[in-house]
Amino acid sequence: MYVYLYDNFLREKRFATVLKLVETRLTDYGIAGKIVRLQNFTSSEGLIAEEVRRGAKTIVVVGNDSTFAKVLSRGAAYPVLYAFIPIGPDNSIAEVLGIPVGEAAADTLARRRKIKLDVGWFNNRFFVSQLHIPPHPIAIEYDERFRVSSKSGRMELVVCNLQPFRWRGPKKEYIVHPQDGKLEAFLRPVIRTGWLRREQFEDPSIFPFEEMVVSSPKPFIVEADGKVSKETKITIKLARSRIDMIVGKERKF
Amino acid sequence: MFPKPPSDNPMSLHESMSHSPDDVETVVGPSVVVEGDFASEGNILVKGTVSGNVKTARLLTVEVGAKIMANVKAGDAVIAGEVRGNVKVEQQLELLASARVLGDIQCQVLVVAGGALLQGKVGMKGLENVEANDRRRLNRGKIRSEDDTSETTEMTA
Repeated sequence: MYVYLYDNFLREKRFATVLKLVETRLTDYGIAGKIVRLQNFTSSEGLIAEEVRRGAKTIVVVGNDSTFAKVLSRGAAYPVLYAFIPIGPDNSIAEVLGIPVGEAAADTLARRRKIKLDVGWFNNRFFVSQLHIPPHPIAIEYDERFRVSSKSGRMELVVCNLQPFRWRGPKKEYIVHPQDGKLEAFLRPVIRTGWLRREQFEDPSIFPFEEMVVSSPKPFIVEADGKVSKETKITIKLARSRIDMIVGKERKF
Repeated sequence: MFPKPPSDNPMSLHESMSHSPDDVETVVGPSVVVEGDFASEGNILVKGTVSGNVKTARLLTVEVGAKIMANVKAGDAVIAGEVRGNVKVEQQLELLASARVLGDIQCQVLVVAGGALLQGKVGMKGLENVEANDRRRLNRGKIRSEDDTSETTEMTA
């Protein structure tokens, strides 16, 4: 049984046409199912648990990157098959998964090409797209082997899982594709340069890792899949093959 | 007029890219300090300071101004910075003009640019076989000369 989780923003009139086309295509394939609309205060964890209890075999997330991250970060704990129908702007994860935006996503869903996705884990929470710590005096210990700190003190940290990291330097261009069996951490120390001592980001340092501990004497902000919290110490790990997911042929990993 | 502070300007993750991007595995930035044994399966680019052993099966690049304060083990290496420790490279080691190495070097191919500073022993894999062959030749020569002397003594008797 298929259960479709529609994001709240899809109520807007401009998405009515594309939704109609998607639903028609799904009916043609014979994979239409129950539609549940996510509200602002809906607990996706409770919702998935309830639908799995009622016999749902495939949970299809309909929306954008934010919807995907919001549902999957909570739903990773449940052993059910997930799929994604990207609609509207802000759909970079769909590109990584090889799923086309709009009604063509129904074709990918019908083909049921399944793979297991790795997800990030920190302080008893999963994250699927990325984790971000704004500039703060943090110290990082990688895989219990080496410590990384900055001479300038403050550093910004981004840990990428499903979203690719692209950065253009003065000479080189960097791209890191996700799902290569490790998480990638991008560190950018804040340095003061010039006569006015303006704050600027330095070239990023890149470290692939499986486990990392970020700590600071002062609480720092952690933003994972759009959810913000304040922590003094976090352990970030890679949870291998955690999510069963339907993907497209043109996926990036 | 004034640029945004870094906190308001998070990393732009999806900048449009015009030409083919370059894959880099591990990068240690200029103001980053790494303490402890540092190992990677891919290429390592060091621009900052590493106080601990560095190990990779692929290419290690130490840029100008970078420092490694322990032993280094790599598949290939290009050094333009400072290394205070032994350097063991499987294939080619290239010391650029600004390189400073204080330690023993072991490699198969060594390229040294004019101006590079090196203090330590240099061992190359090819030389081990040459030394062994020389020893064998010397030993054979000794045996032959002993045989020759014994024959001559018999003849004289």
